[in-house]
Amino acid sequence: MSAFLSSSFMHNIFGGVAQGVVYSLVALSLVIIWQSTHVLNFAQGAMAMFATYVGMTEIDRGIGYWWCVIISVAVGMLLGGLTERVLIRPLYGKPEINPIVVMVGFLGVIEALAAAIWTSTTRNITEPFSQIYYHDHGNLVFVSPFIIYQVILALGIMLIIAALFRFTKLGLQLRASALAPEVSRLLGIRVSRMLTIGWILSAGVGAIAAVIQASGSFGLFPTDMDGIFVAGFIAAAVGGLESPIGAVAGGLLIGLAEQFILAYWSPNVAPLGGIIILVVALMIRPQGLFTKVAGRRV
Amino acid sequence: MIRTFLRQETTRSRFLGVLALTAVALAITFALPPVADSELAGGAAIAIVILGLSWLIGWSGQISLGNSGFMAVGAYAAGIWAHHHATTPLVFTFVLAIVAGAVSGLIIAIPSTRLRGPYLAGMTLAFSAAVTPIAQNFTSVTGGEGGIFMNALTTPGWFEDLFSGPNAAINANAQWTADLSVLVAGISFFFMANLFHSRTGRAMRLVRDNDVAAELMGVNLSRTRSLAFMIAAAYAGLGGALYSLLQASVRPETFPLTLSITLLTLMVLGGIGTLSGAVIGGIIYSFSANLVAHVNSLTGVNPTSNLGANMQGIIFGALLILTMLFAPSGLVSLKNPVKRIFRARHQVVEPGEVH
Repeated sequence: MSAFLSSSFMHNIFGGVAQGVVYSLVALSLVIIWQSTHVLNFAQGAMAMFATYVGMTEIDRGIGYWWCVIISVAVGMLLGGLTERVLIRPLYGKPEINPIVVMVGFLGVIEALAAAIWTSTTRNITEPFSQIYYHDHGNLVFVSPFIIYQVILALGIMLIIAALFRFTKLGLQLRASALAPEVSRLLGIRVSRMLTIGWILSAGVGAIAAVIQASGSFGLFPTDMDGIFVAGFIAAAVGGLESPIGAVAGGLLIGLAEQFILAYWSPNVAPLGGIIILVVALMIRPQGLFTKVAGRRV
Repeated sequence: MIRTFLRQETTRSRFLGVLALTAVALAITFALPPVADSELAGGAAIAIVILGLSWLIGWSGQISLGNSGFMAVGAYAAGIWAHHHATTPLVFTFVLAIVAGAVSGLIIAIPSTRLRGPYLAGMTLAFSAAVTPIAQNFTSVTGGEGGIFMNALTTPGWFEDLFSGPNAAINANAQWTADLSVLVAGISFFFMANLFHSRTGRAMRLVRDNDVAAELMGVNLSRTRSLAFMIAAAYAGLGGALYSLLQASVRPETFPLTLSITLLTLMVLGGIGTLSGAVIGGIIYSFSANLVAHVNSLTGVNPTSNLGANMQGIIFGALLILTMLFAPSGLVSLKNPVKRIFRARHQVVEPGEVH
């Protein structure tokens, strides 16, 4: 058993899951926004990066790791709410290209601002947990306390979000206003407030992904989240953009696929791994693997 | 009189219009100092890419965030060829870049044209994000981080004889590259002007505005959308090849994701779906370095500081947001004579309600 756990196969599984949960978080945050406002937020990764940088600045002033996480998430949520109010609100009812273009512009502004304030060198948060792999009778098991922390944190956030949507009154209101805004408004739900809350929640989830990325050994740099955003988008798209479970599953799939392509095929092909998965998935089911088939969208 | 004549929008009138504009641009290159000439040459290359993007978004209603990727494909095709076959005529290198761009566009288009807005944007973004690492990894073909060096564009003897006498105030090399770029851009613009008003252009507009009606009229939706993508990618390939020939090298970091954002900004700023919008975008690009330096000096920011170095990204991103929020038709919508000459029927993207 221990030999199996130490095999390179399991190494890739653990590594893939660890990276996959980060993608899952980004994908989940994209799905939350997509469900509430039908906007694909291209600045999602950059907003999370910015929020985490703010948290990291505070950690330099001597606050603890957990305060840094809380500050990053709070800043992320604030940024998400403001973005919806200021940039997205004027664009409801406009062609769907308009919000895409605006968020791409926002992505550019945030990344340039972050590089201007904090330089483009990589920064990381002092690791809260050891990155050293566990041993089992002298064999390395490719799991470190950090990987466990990373997976548990991500899964915890996902469960909280799921519980929020499933079991709370707020969650019910959020789902109702995404599904039938007009009816919800008639029933007394403040739909526009729900849209803002959707963005706030989504940005908070995204910030966790950037915090995990910054806590790892690779650290974070201003354009770092571009690649993670792309992987997260692919994960969400494979899952169908509508389905939170699909997003989480898609994230794990992309994480594992990247790891295995890297290990068994060629590192040169790895950047294309996500695109190949997306193309194949869309060829098989253009509406996503996890969504129910609706009528033709005209 | 001329105006009514040009309004008839025949091939001949479009030819004369583009010819006049090209002639004016050529005349300007002779008046500009060599540094400005090479900036203008870069602007002409970028204008070609913007025109392709403008066509894709404005006329077919599809969005691409991957045009820096298509530029890279064209640039590498031209670079790899020119590196090994230094003596081939320039025209051949350009054709190669166009074909390479079109093929890459087709490959992306086949799965993408079944997608609408956000999916398509994400897909092309994924492509564009993958291009840089691929160029870095396939060292044997692309030269890796260091890239490929090409021979600089050689100025033909007759041109040198004409324009570099002992007392000539102009630099024949800078002059030649600027004029060549303007010419290539002029030809590209002429083709696009015709394409706008061709059968394909009309079909494209119908697909954009009402795809169900288009299908009922016998337009093949996915083929039309793929074609739009191929053309946009071919333009990006040509522009990318010209751009890197001007720099005499192709390197992975020449085509970052931010270039796609810059292209989008310039296109939106000029005006979506218009020839003159692409011209304006190219001109703004030519002088963007000066523009940013000017803003830096106005605001008292040290250009070598962090903020100064990132000023361009901040300004371009902010301009993109502001234009889209407050003037989505771009600068072209402001009254100007250029607009009257190149009056495109539809200047704003207004795809029929999607979803």
